[in-house]
Amino acid sequence: MRRAAQYGMLAGGIAAVVTLGVVGTVTVRQGSEARVAHPDAYPVTAGISGCGRGWSDPAAGTQTFDVTNTSIAGMEVYLESVASGDVYLDLEALGAGSTTRGRAIIPAGRYRFVCLPADEDPIAGPTVTVTGVRRVADATPGIPPVTENDLIPASKQYGAWIESRLPVLQADVDALADDVASGDLGKAKADWLTGHLEYESLGAAYGAFGDADEAINGMPASGRTALDDPGLTGFHKLEALLWSGAPAAEIAPFADRLSADVAGLRANFPNVRIDPLDIGLRAHEILENALQFELTGAADAGSHTNLATVDANLNGSAEALAPLRGILKPRYPQLAKTEASIAAAQQLVESYRAADGTWTPLQSLTTAQREALDARIDATVELLAPVAAICDVRRAAS
Amino acid sequence: MSPQRGADAERPAAGLGRRGFLHGLVGAGVAAPLAAAAAVAPAAATPASAPSSSTSSPPGTPASTPSADAPAYPFHGAHQAGILTPAQRNGTFVAFDLTASSRAELTELMKTITERARFLTAGGLPAEVGIAAPPPDSGVLGPRVPSDGLTVTVSLGASVFDDRYGLAGLKPHRLRTMEDFPNDALDRAACDGDVLLQLCAHHPDTITHALRDIAKATRGGMQVRWRKDGFVSPPRPSGTPRNLMGFKDGTSSPALAEPSAPDRLVWTHAGGPEPRWVEGGSYHVVRVIRMLVEFWDRVSLHEQENMIGRRRDSGAPLTGTREHDDPRYETDPTGDVIQMDAHIRLANNRSPQQAEQQMLRRSYNYDSGVDTNGNLDNGLVFACFNQDLERQFVTVQKRLIDEPLADYISPTGGGYFFALPGVRHQADWFASGLLA
Repeated sequence: MRRAAQYGMLAGGIAAVVTLGVVGTVTVRQGSEARVAHPDAYPVTAGISGCGRGWSDPAAGTQTFDVTNTSIAGMEVYLESVASGDVYLDLEALGAGSTTRGRAIIPAGRYRFVCLPADEDPIAGPTVTVTGVRRVADATPGIPPVTENDLIPASKQYGAWIESRLPVLQADVDALADDVASGDLGKAKADWLTGHLEYESLGAAYGAFGDADEAINGMPASGRTALDDPGLTGFHKLEALLWSGAPAAEIAPFADRLSADVAGLRANFPNVRIDPLDIGLRAHEILENALQFELTGAADAGSHTNLATVDANLNGSAEALAPLRGILKPRYPQLAKTEASIAAAQQLVESYRAADGTWTPLQSLTTAQREALDARIDATVELLAPVAAICDVRRAAS
Repeated sequence: MSPQRGADAERPAAGLGRRGFLHGLVGAGVAAPLAAAAAVAPAAATPASAPSSSTSSPPGTPASTPSADAPAYPFHGAHQAGILTPAQRNGTFVAFDLTASSRAELTELMKTITERARFLTAGGLPAEVGIAAPPPDSGVLGPRVPSDGLTVTVSLGASVFDDRYGLAGLKPHRLRTMEDFPNDALDRAACDGDVLLQLCAHHPDTITHALRDIAKATRGGMQVRWRKDGFVSPPRPSGTPRNLMGFKDGTSSPALAEPSAPDRLVWTHAGGPEPRWVEGGSYHVVRVIRMLVEFWDRVSLHEQENMIGRRRDSGAPLTGTREHDDPRYETDPTGDVIQMDAHIRLANNRSPQQAEQQMLRRSYNYDSGVDTNGNLDNGLVFACFNQDLERQFVTVQKRLIDEPLADYISPTGGGYFFALPGVRHQADWFASGLLA
């Protein structure tokens, strides 16, 4: 099905579909999960004319579709409930002429396919009545698709929160620079931690702040340490210098540079904005980062404050999740459990903060303590993973 | 179940041995102790559905070249699969520490493991979650998960029976933390654990897939403590598979040849000092035994064969001609042929007294990279199942202390566990007798 064959295929494809459809509906398979009278797979068309043809006489349970894009451009296809608009299946990026398989496990009800050609209005297919039981085991959850319009308020809210924290971050790093300038390296360490935790709560995981993040919170290049990497600036360079006993004069240029880089982030932030496409990713990516770089100790450049960073990351996860609550509430049954899991993780992590504000080094934890912590964060990030899937931006079906 | 491989390795124990001087002779017994292999036949195969490939194999023979759609081993039964089941080609041993914070969470965890194991061992289509979550299955095995001879065997360590879950009074009588035997060099970070999963299948990707699936479903409840992957070699050229010392390992399996043997040697029974719930379970010993293969390969064949007690090429006891010949120790009472401290002779002298000490061996070779000096890390994940840990494994292991072979091997990890009774039906779950 490459391009040359496209036009021919259109007609030929439909003919084939019809034929298969006939054969399919009378096929009876012996496989354990195959149902009597269900075809192995319904051949379904997705086209400008003829959206959702080929799905006939279905009974509740597993539906398998071989969906063919009979148009001449890219297509997205939903399977939705006619009454609620809840989506059970989303086949994205279906190229012209291509066929792909999708499955859904659905109870009795009225459903239809919706074809969403690139740059054209959605086309609803015929309503299909699924007969049989109203409850099926392991049913595919149907949820309303989340659109860009749904996400704009959430991303604005999240962006506004970050923006409100940037002056605090600026004050923190300015204080750090002042400490270094005045030669008070003890106070500099305390202010370094305050500033670093502020930054780590902002959700800068995975390049969210672009080059600014690299300058502010970059990690040493492969084969280098934070101390000897000549290209490294930012929190981890300062951490390496402060905790290795470097003289103030050597540290000062990096402290000033950090102040300047944070100022640059502030200046640019209104233009950076939080892309609605990204907001759903944040909540779990912040903790993915924590798992990979903090709970392994990899990001430690001498301060042994990984646990403090994890705590800040949990704050950041909660802040990224909060603006999505309204969207998630009707779509994610585990939302409350997710929020409780973040809170429980935070409580556990904070049990390693002493009354004087110092943190137990990760390296001092016993195996059992690390296992308990890893388990808690692992469980939390599993619960956060569906948030990104649910908040993946989709087109409205109508 | 090819139980054998490990033989030598396994038992080595004690150490010091001096290498040298053992001249002796012959024997081959390494494997002998366990006999296990035979057992297979009865039990493992039991379920009619045992995968074809293996069932018909002679004891000690690994499941051979199964096709991708080999039938599934039945998950439900009085005993777990993966014990009498003929050893599939690939296996992994993964120990976890529990992080479940209560008995209720532990129960939930066991139900989750049950549910995943039930699905994975049967195979089928994963759940469909539409647009509500990432795909629940890793896709490693394609859209339809094949059973591929997968078995998931769940065992508990002694630490489960501490004060965390209120189970102290229900500990299997013989279960304890594995001791350091005199020749051991155990790294405790690679020993013990609350829960041991033994996953075996015809292909390695099936094991990887199953472990990922179970780990994903149980996050929060347990964390991996250590892991060792192994494989069963194909027969070279025939008979019992070889271990990485080049010897056939697991040849001898007399006791399990009869159908009633597992009841005497493998399955633990309730009653006496044993709590009720243990009925149908088994003491599961895992010993990760490194073989110092560079050293071994510098040893003369004569000395190698004397330490083991068998011919390297044929696997025959030095007193015999063919692999399965009886060593006939009565004809060699002073060890002129098979030296008295040859591995197979120490492990099982074929006396009536030692018959009840035979265990069901189910070991896997491993090849895990290199050490800091560039030497290969080859060895054996010796695994065995015992009705009574003390009477069987421990007794035999103590006899092997300072055997000549001990110089060439180094036990580094593993632990003592108790393989749970089987999940009997659709509504049952692992450890239900313990936790319900």
